[in-house]
Amino acid sequence: MIIEMKNIEKSFGGLEVLKDISFGVDSGEVVSIIGPSGSGKSTLLRCATFLETIDGGEIVYMGETAAHTDESGHAVYVSPQELRHFRKYCGLVFQQFNLFPHYSILKNLTDAPMRVQGLSRDEAEATAMDLLGKMGIADKAKAYPYQLSGGQQQRVAIARALAMKPEILFFDEPTSALDPELTGEVLKVIRQLAEEKMTMVVVTHEMPFAKAVSNRVIFMDGGVIVEQGDPKDVFDNPQEERTKQFLRVFER
Amino acid sequence: MSFSTMLSTMSAGMLRTFLIFALTLIGSLPLGMIVALLRKSRFAPVRGIIKAYISVMRGTPLMLQLLCWYFGPFYLFGWNIGSWRFPAIIVGFVLNYAAYFAEIYRGGIESIPTGQYEAAEVLGYTKFQTFMRIILPQVIKIIMPSVTNEVITLVKDTSLAFTLAYQEVFSLAKQISASQTSFMPFLIAGVFYFVANYVVEIVMSRVEKSMDYYK
Repeated sequence: MIIEMKNIEKSFGGLEVLKDISFGVDSGEVVSIIGPSGSGKSTLLRCATFLETIDGGEIVYMGETAAHTDESGHAVYVSPQELRHFRKYCGLVFQQFNLFPHYSILKNLTDAPMRVQGLSRDEAEATAMDLLGKMGIADKAKAYPYQLSGGQQQRVAIARALAMKPEILFFDEPTSALDPELTGEVLKVIRQLAEEKMTMVVVTHEMPFAKAVSNRVIFMDGGVIVEQGDPKDVFDNPQEERTKQFLRVFER
Repeated sequence: MSFSTMLSTMSAGMLRTFLIFALTLIGSLPLGMIVALLRKSRFAPVRGIIKAYISVMRGTPLMLQLLCWYFGPFYLFGWNIGSWRFPAIIVGFVLNYAAYFAEIYRGGIESIPTGQYEAAEVLGYTKFQTFMRIILPQVIKIIMPSVTNEVITLVKDTSLAFTLAYQEVFSLAKQISASQTSFMPFLIAGVFYFVANYVVEIVMSRVEKSMDYYK
């Protein structure tokens, strides 16, 4: 298991967003999380990447515990220093890309590996150019984010996350901010990563993509996992009424 | 008094004006950043004190503040304020301008999308690295026009040191004008302020241009 989240609970001001959710991801697995907005998908990702703190439950990366519930019932995290060690394990691709506008594409990819992981400039740049090549945007290395299309920016964001060599990469609706004609190029890159056995969790509304690429689909609603399993089963033969209802909307 | 004598007499005042200007910037630009960060402190009392400080600095005339800084120690503690004139001016200017700069910085910092902080956090940057490498460079670009405004105002505000009878260019212009019954000193002072601000404009537009490489 790369990551294991057990009995995760999270509330925002009295509103329960995650209700006792448990899920784990194995090495090389591609998991899609689908569900209506407000179902807690993004919050789950943000808890997994330590952008939000859980109220209760356990987060384990590579067999090491990052957070657990103590006797009093409150979640306790490891120290901030140790948490930085856990951050190495995971990468996150945002809906809004969140590239650093004042850095060139190349620097977006090299700055964190150099400043955070202490890589030399040569090492960092070699990795970065390699990744940009894979993303099909090596010619944009010297450009700045504003000069790129949304699809290109998102591919840079994916490369930036990969430059940190994470064990697992999370995607929070990676194509939702893109024009329809640009989603294809981003999904293609994710599909390519799946073929290379990159461990990934993708929150998405692209049902055909989820069906084609993932090993497992999780349907979330109201802060719980309603149904999960093989994409063919979940999409073609859903067991739960809520799943059927949700999927029906997409068929129309 | 000939024009050239006037000019050379006033040039000493120009130097003093420049000294107020430079020391105020050197003091208030960094102090403003500290104030802006304290303004967002986790501790409510700190936030309260900073808010009150900014409020007083912006809500009362700088001229009055200068008088307080200069005469305050004498009236409050009976201190000898003989050599306190110039330091009082600098303290008054620095604290006043720091308050204005703090609000400009705060506006700039708050305009940076949270996504920038989150991206940096996920990549493992420390809080300090995030601020210095990701946030601050973007803030500086955003606030440049407002800072230029403030710097231009400062050039003109230095004339308020006249209140404490400090011999900067405006005080000298007034004195010479009175003693020589001539309008020329005011004209010289006006040209001096204008040229100084013209230089400020050129320098600041260069700085702004140097940050034009991204949007």
